[in-house]
Amino acid sequence: MPIIVNLDVMMAKRKMSSQELAERVGITTANLSILKTGKAKAVRFSTLEKICEELECQPGDILEFRRE
Amino acid sequence: MWNNNKSLFLSRVLTIAAAGVAVFVAFFIPTIADWYQYMMTVEAAGILDRETMFIPMCISLYVCDALALAALWNLHVLLGNISRDEVFIPKNTSCLRRISWICMAAGVVCIIFGLWSSIFAFVGMVAIMFGLIMRVLKNVFEKAVEIKSENDFTI
Repeated sequence: MPIIVNLDVMMAKRKMSSQELAERVGITTANLSILKTGKAKAVRFSTLEKICEELECQPGDILEFRRE
Repeated sequence: MWNNNKSLFLSRVLTIAAAGVAVFVAFFIPTIADWYQYMMTVEAAGILDRETMFIPMCISLYVCDALALAALWNLHVLLGNISRDEVFIPKNTSCLRRISWICMAAGVVCIIFGLWSSIFAFVGMVAIMFGLIMRVLKNVFEKAVEIKSENDFTI
């Protein structure tokens, strides 16, 4: 998929673990892992909003479009 | 009180009972063929001579019986998966696809036997029609599996 999820980069910048982010956002670590590994087929705006809020970033910092 | 679990249990029991009937009938196929050869009315006769219908009828009935057992096995697997709450999975789609092909194969066998007894050609057409319906159902299931996968991977 040409949409790349750079969640791990932002998490590393904010020094936040997967478990901590999952708890703060209110999703399971398994779902966060699906998101991080790029296996997710869609992201809800509500989830994106919470992730951006917790990581203090913009959606564009997490999602990137790369032509295949 | 009647509920989904009881309905599922009834379906499984009926499937097993139907398989039992199919196995039981298999032992009497030559008797049935012999009886039908002489009891068939003129209206039900086909274009070929009734004196030559015994062996084709035995073969048709054995093939249809085997196909019925295969279809019932697939139904049993399908019901087992549904009882484990695994409804929209690729395995169930495969079961429905197999059932559809089995119905169509049984339809073709019946249509061929329709040369000896025209009523079987009609039964064959009904079986093919049922196979077609099962195929459409399989297509619906296939789409549902895709939608479920998309839903499961929406975070």
